[in-house]
Amino acid sequence: MTSIIWTWIAAFFTLAILSFLYKDNPLYKFAEHVYVGSSAAFTILYVWVFDAYPKLVMGFREKVGMQKYLLIIPLILSLFIILRFIKPLSWLSRWSIAFTVGMAAGLGITGLTQGFLVPQVQASFLPLFVQGPTTGQTILLTFNNIIIVFGTIFTILYFYFSREHKGLLGVSSKIGVTILMITFGASFGYTIMARISLLIQRVYFLLHNWLGLV
Amino acid sequence: MIELLKKLAGIDRRFIYAAVFLATAIPILTKATMKVEPLPEVRKAYEYIESLPESSVVMVSIDYDAASMPELQPMLEAFLHHSFSKNLRVIMLGHWPLGLPLGQQALEKVAGQYNKEYGVDYVFLGYRPGVAAVIINLGKDFRTVFSSDYAYTPIDSLPLMREVSNYKNVKLLLGLEAGAVGDAWVQYGYARYNLPIILGSTAVSTPDYYPYMQANQVISVIGGLRGAADYETLLGITGEASIGMLPQSVIHLVIIAFIIIGNIGFLVLRRAKK
Amino acid sequence: MKKEIPLAITFISGVLLVLALFIPHKPFGNLEEIFNDWYIIVSGFTFLLGIDSLLGYNFGKLKRKEKDAPYALVLILSFFITLTWGIVEIVRTPEHNPFGPTSTFSLYFYNSIFIPLQATMFAILSFFIASAAYRAFRAKEINSALLLVSAVLVMLGRIPLGQSAAPYVITVIFLIFAVYFFAESAGVTEPKIKIAYILVALIFVALIYPLGFVYFRQHIPEFADWIMNVPQMAGKRGIMIGIALGGIAMSIRIILGIERTYMK
Repeated sequence: MTSIIWTWIAAFFTLAILSFLYKDNPLYKFAEHVYVGSSAAFTILYVWVFDAYPKLVMGFREKVGMQKYLLIIPLILSLFIILRFIKPLSWLSRWSIAFTVGMAAGLGITGLTQGFLVPQVQASFLPLFVQGPTTGQTILLTFNNIIIVFGTIFTILYFYFSREHKGLLGVSSKIGVTILMITFGASFGYTIMARISLLIQRVYFLLHNWLGLV
Repeated sequence: MIELLKKLAGIDRRFIYAAVFLATAIPILTKATMKVEPLPEVRKAYEYIESLPESSVVMVSIDYDAASMPELQPMLEAFLHHSFSKNLRVIMLGHWPLGLPLGQQALEKVAGQYNKEYGVDYVFLGYRPGVAAVIINLGKDFRTVFSSDYAYTPIDSLPLMREVSNYKNVKLLLGLEAGAVGDAWVQYGYARYNLPIILGSTAVSTPDYYPYMQANQVISVIGGLRGAADYETLLGITGEASIGMLPQSVIHLVIIAFIIIGNIGFLVLRRAKK
Repeated sequence: MKKEIPLAITFISGVLLVLALFIPHKPFGNLEEIFNDWYIIVSGFTFLLGIDSLLGYNFGKLKRKEKDAPYALVLILSFFITLTWGIVEIVRTPEHNPFGPTSTFSLYFYNSIFIPLQATMFAILSFFIASAAYRAFRAKEINSALLLVSAVLVMLGRIPLGQSAAPYVITVIFLIFAVYFFAESAGVTEPKIKIAYILVALIFVALIYPLGFVYFRQHIPEFADWIMNVPQMAGKRGIMIGIALGGIAMSIRIILGIERTYMK
């Protein structure tokens, strides 16, 4: 019985959100505000459950010696963030923000260089002639490598705005645009696929779990 | 004639909405499923998992929430079926806290079907904030990030975790990705520690992962509902992804038809204006 | 001091991580681990930022009895109900975790309220994207035609019905192009260009059978693979390298204290 009631509640919220397609209405607004309110509460819950309790409370309980004292620093920085809610002391939260921003920047530099730029540029050094098992294969593989190498270079050049796109730069950035259009087209196709999958699942929920038609 | 085309170029949006809804609902009501020929990248991912020796430790990361559940949940369930049927041991964690229960519910459900025991055959660690920092520190030692599992059980009291100190003991990471965490797994997990990675992603982020695949930074990518259906096909199960293939096909054709109709109207009207 | 200390903190933490990448041994390797651990703890708390203003804003609406005060009340109530329910489950469940499998919070609230809300919120995007595809996806010039064709071919290559539908879709699209070029040729006076237009139109007609009914009927999935793996991949890589360079430059500016917008 309880499960039937909860299925009906789930169906109610599904339909409430779908009703927005007709026009903005009180039912949709109600559901939307429930969503925003509960998401905010979720945040507090998981910060406690997965961060403050296991890392700080349990940390202080279980760690010993130097490791325990070191925990005071993140504890203070975390408390400073909460001080943002108290006007006269809110400037202290900048220390914590500065720490997270500095860490994010440092992590960003290392990840992007070591994990992206270097391997991606390396992977673009492809031979411009590939001998395949058949002539057809040779042509195809060579053609593919040429597109990958020059497609990448020309796309980057297209985003190079420090000089006017004339002459050689003009030609290469035109080819860059062509490659970009194919890229955006493919991404758009994939985006449609993703969005539609979401709808399929919701309609399936309504027809299967709620109405029992399927 | 021109009037008709004008109408075609300006169909009311609600008519389009109704068409999209019907193109979804009617195929579902027919209950028909469609055969798919698995994409090469999904086959590659499948074969990699097939090649893992029994009792290897694999890791799965829940980096999505309900917004992309329809694509990634079937992928997760298929992966769990695959892993448990091959007696692989599974460690689950996540970077998207709002999606964690989705992961854990699937884990408990599928593990139950194979009579797997918590702590021995599978473990649910939970979540810690800080994506990149978490991935880097897990590579040094799991204990620096998770000294306990989701229920605050010390991980050294779980037999499975006693054998795992860092990524060296992990044979695969399946990252189920709805956003930028997939990049972080590659840029820190693979780049620093050579962690073998398969990314299962929503169709929106799938195109972004092709450069990683070409550079061999990931083993493979399973993309979108279609990728999930391919995986189900390879495993011989009919899950929600396979059921979704017919409506998926029909709505795409409807959308393509709308694009074509819109363009006919547009081109003719443009000529008429000239 | 209100400015210098935060700038120093940013500088030290950023530089340390970069150094640790190049010198992963003691002391940098260990310091990196410790700093990462602190970051794991502190960054969680940053999620709390904004909750106060969200609640304050809605309490304000309620106090001033604004027109949408009832919705503000809904938001505040759902916040406190969710929070209370979660706390009760933290205390009650053996795992002390409201997200765990034995928790009623997870079983009922999450599964029957939160999932439907979030999933449907994103599912309605499918209607908007269909409508946008129809409205905005117009072949205004060669580049937009290319974008359109690439999208259609990728979609056809990725759906199970694609192979059977491809010949007909190709027929329609190529006929449109052929008719368009033919119609354009009528308005051209220069004979050479006129012939070129007619030729282009004829080429489109001639390609319908070999391309649509022979090649794509069999190979549209492989063709979509090719688009994804070759030109799409190259374009994406170019874009992402650009973004990466921008990200690195921005990070350096932040570490050096040139970029300070986060201090506001």
